[in-house]
Amino acid sequence: MSSVSKSPWVIHYDGSSCNGCDIEVLAALTPLYDVERFGIINTGNPKHADIFLVTGSVNEQNIDVVKEIYDQMVEPKVVVACGICACSAGIFHDCYNIIGGVDKAIPVDVYVPGCAVRPEAIIDGVVQGLGILEEKSKALAASKKKGE
Amino acid sequence: MELIVSLVGVPCLAALLMLAVRCDKARNVLAVASVAAIGLLSVVFAVRYLGESPVYFVLPESTAGVLGIVNFLIEIAVGAFILAYAIRYKRMLALGLALVQLVMAVWIEVSVLAGHEFSTQMRVDQLSVIMALIIGIVGSGICVYALGYMKDFQEHHPEQKDRRPWFFALMFAFLAAMFNIVFSDNMAWIYTAWEVTTLCSFLLIGFTKTDEAINNAFRQIVMNMLGGVAFQVAIAFAALNGLPLVFSEFLMAGAMSAGTAAAALFAVPVVLLAFAGMTKAAQMPFHTWLLGAMVAPTPTSALLHSSTMVKAGVFLLIKLSPLFLVFPIASGMVVIVGGLTFLFCSFLAISQSNAKRVLAYSTIANLGLITACAGVGTPEAIWAAIFLVVFHAVAKSLLFLCVGTAEHHIGSRNIEDMDELFERMPRLARFMMLGIMTMFIAPFGMLVSKWATLVSFATTGQVLLLVLLAFGSAATFMFWGKWLGKLAGIAAHRESEEVTVNKTEWSAIILMAVLVVACCVGMPFISSAFVEPYLAGVYGMAPLAIGFDNMAIMAIIVAFIVVVLFGTLGKAKKKVVPVYMAGITVDSSKRVFKGALGGEREATSRNWYLEGIFGEKRLDKPATIVTAAVLVVCLVASIFAGGTLGSVSLPMYLQTASLNESVFSTLIGIVVFLVVGPVLGCLLAGLDRIISARMQGRVGPPLLQPYYDVRKLIAKDDVSVNTVEGTYITMALIFTLIAGGVFFGGGNFLMCVFLVTLSALFFILAAYSSRSPYAEIGADREILQVMSYEPMILFVAVGMLLTMGTFDVAGLFHGSAPMIVAAWPIFIGLLFVLTIKLRKSPFDLSYSHHAHQELVKGVTTEMSGRTLAKVEVMHWCENVLFMAWVAMFFVWSNPASIALAVVVAAAVYFLEIWIDNNFARVKWQSCLKWAWIVSLVAGLVNILGLVLYIIFA
Repeated sequence: MSSVSKSPWVIHYDGSSCNGCDIEVLAALTPLYDVERFGIINTGNPKHADIFLVTGSVNEQNIDVVKEIYDQMVEPKVVVACGICACSAGIFHDCYNIIGGVDKAIPVDVYVPGCAVRPEAIIDGVVQGLGILEEKSKALAASKKKGE
Repeated sequence: MELIVSLVGVPCLAALLMLAVRCDKARNVLAVASVAAIGLLSVVFAVRYLGESPVYFVLPESTAGVLGIVNFLIEIAVGAFILAYAIRYKRMLALGLALVQLVMAVWIEVSVLAGHEFSTQMRVDQLSVIMALIIGIVGSGICVYALGYMKDFQEHHPEQKDRRPWFFALMFAFLAAMFNIVFSDNMAWIYTAWEVTTLCSFLLIGFTKTDEAINNAFRQIVMNMLGGVAFQVAIAFAALNGLPLVFSEFLMAGAMSAGTAAAALFAVPVVLLAFAGMTKAAQMPFHTWLLGAMVAPTPTSALLHSSTMVKAGVFLLIKLSPLFLVFPIASGMVVIVGGLTFLFCSFLAISQSNAKRVLAYSTIANLGLITACAGVGTPEAIWAAIFLVVFHAVAKSLLFLCVGTAEHHIGSRNIEDMDELFERMPRLARFMMLGIMTMFIAPFGMLVSKWATLVSFATTGQVLLLVLLAFGSAATFMFWGKWLGKLAGIAAHRESEEVTVNKTEWSAIILMAVLVVACCVGMPFISSAFVEPYLAGVYGMAPLAIGFDNMAIMAIIVAFIVVVLFGTLGKAKKKVVPVYMAGITVDSSKRVFKGALGGEREATSRNWYLEGIFGEKRLDKPATIVTAAVLVVCLVASIFAGGTLGSVSLPMYLQTASLNESVFSTLIGIVVFLVVGPVLGCLLAGLDRIISARMQGRVGPPLLQPYYDVRKLIAKDDVSVNTVEGTYITMALIFTLIAGGVFFGGGNFLMCVFLVTLSALFFILAAYSSRSPYAEIGADREILQVMSYEPMILFVAVGMLLTMGTFDVAGLFHGSAPMIVAAWPIFIGLLFVLTIKLRKSPFDLSYSHHAHQELVKGVTTEMSGRTLAKVEVMHWCENVLFMAWVAMFFVWSNPASIALAVVVAAAVYFLEIWIDNNFARVKWQSCLKWAWIVSLVAGLVNILGLVLYIIFA
């Protein structure tokens, strides 16, 4: 494991979630699950974050926000869609105001379904994301080398 | 002698020429020629008299007689001039004072001085050489600047008649008068020149003839005439009582009079002259005239009201300073009023947004400090005072010139409007930043002089002055720091607006900048070539408050900062990204974003002015009353009982031991700290996180987690919101490492403190440069935190001197007992402010290392990747350094004490973590209030106790 996967800092954004998944994300960050054991820290700032946890689906109101947060995160970065709404818009799929899952706005790396998604599943998703983060990090290092 | 005559004569001639010449081009040529002549003459003069002991000039009796009459005529003319203006504008007070002055002048000339023979007329020592260089070079530079400035000024004020010939005539006449003040040894002549400068200032303040200008001009003349009358009374009193009227003889006889009957006679003129000097130097309660003087065109403010004329006041006080050792009441007056002026004006400057007013307050404050140094009167204090004069003259004129140019190009002198100047006027902004840094931060000259001031106050046990200095300096950091931040902001690639700046303005600004850098880098040389010979001449000894090696280290750092500021800053190649707006960014450069409710909004931010705490409404009146009361009481006491106290030697006069201040040991310290700092700091940070986790009932991360974090950050992509942020952070890191090197190399603790502050400033600048709303708020709060903890840190240094007799860390190992024994109140104070310095709750205002994340992430909002990694490493190093500060209290000559110190430091670190986890964040008001109360109580009680112990034991 390289240093990248030992220190994944996350940022959490609530799209149009019913708050069920949000509560579970927060639950995962409580002392009970103690994700800091894996170096995970919740940052409030996209510029510091490596992993983007999105809950809820994407609509006209929030699509630009989701995109902006993603854009402002510094490479390498990973997106984890938390809950079924974030994965595919879930039961709101056909609503007139819903665009769809998070992947309609930004590339998603890990889909973690559930309604609401369980903290264990979120942690599992983040851990899966770490593998992808590692790959991306290697790719970035390689391209940097090439650039030089 | 010819040199002196030409130094006085050339400006006189130039003044007459200026009056005669009406054509712009001819005036430019003539002015530049005369200025070049004056500048050159002053340099030749300096080289001629470099390092010589005082030289006296005796004129043939006939010439002296003629000159005496000329002097008297000038005096009468000045009086008549003021009288005429007072009648024209119906100012009764000015009229009355002018009449008094005229009558006095005639009386003194006709009756008191009739037949009096002066043995010498002129005198040159190294202090006059320094002053002549300031007047000659800085003065002529400002005159050149004025050529371009006044052209713009006339274009900006088309409704006014072109009175430029008059303006330039006054400027040159003023230079001649200033030369006279510094060279004359005849008190009557000094007085004449003194009054000429007052009149020049009066006419230049009233130059625009608006109601405001006229009012302020009369305020100036009334206050300065009070000083003038005091000067006259001093001369008359001295003459009537048979005291010498040759200034150098007067000073010598006064110093010898200690303990004799003559002391009672000397007390009166000494205190009156001191009073005159203080009015000229705009000390409270007479500070309002200098504030009002800011209506004058900017070159006037630069020349008369910051770099030279007001310096005549402190020049007189510095000359008098050996006498203050003999006359404690006069000394008390000067010291207390000067110190209070420094404190209050530094506070008041925080509340001002008008750049010229900030400069004015800072000028008064610094004059106050110089005044206080003169009042202390020891060679160390005078060393500091002279350097304060030099650095203030060059740095302040640079700043005034920059503000003047900025005003003509951005149409405002409000600091808020200087937002983004770094891009709008890139060269000018850098010069302004250089000027500001020179004013308040180590390694630049003003702070090094302030450092010497602190040493001289501490060695003489001036408890009150130490307290005033500590709190005043903290305020200085606030008002300069936030201005610097405004300038440093970078938003978009805007067009440079400075293409239209006049060539003459550029040349003057560049001259001042070169002078600033030359003085800072050449400080050790100036000290040994000018200041030490002067002190040796006056006191017979020239002890240094700051060691040569320390000055050399500072000089090297200055050179480094200047190279970065004007060379590489902003040239780094970076992927530039927009700032974080917590919404949908519409226009990053204008800070417009789409908020939660849809509409577009613009984020705006202003500097902090803290009106409710430091505003004029709140402080001005009490300050005026207190200082006026001190002045009156001391004047009266000194006149009636000044001599009776007679010879009082200083109650205490410590010698500071300089033990380990070589460049070499600092280098070794840096190498050691380069390894120890990050390694130990990383482990401490990991420990902090684990202990915090345990306190919250969880396991927490591995011990090396901070190391993993930094490794990851380094591997991230290298992007930034601008091209300078990374450079600032690198500098902050470097200065932290040097600070640690100084400490662990056993060097000077004060230097370590100043370098930590320098590092904090660059950290703050990095945040301001992003011009992100969140980073700016973080930076504002960080400045406030620095202001909160700074006084206590200075008290720690003073406590170290008073207990161990040295500022050198190596000296701790020579003590027979650790510092804690006698300095435990200071230790408690240090523990209190340590929480602020470590940014731990309840004082984690600017940002926090843990998961608290109000306002996104404060100072570090825009930092990412490598930059953030550097910030982390910097904090590791800082933590180690601060714990070493704690440990330092428990070390003495017993080697086992190191183990004890380490144990205590570990316990304190644990205590800080416990506090962090058990207290909720407070508002900034509470942070400032409690930090200052604790510092005041702990510092004052402890230092007072130590001083009393030293005096009586």
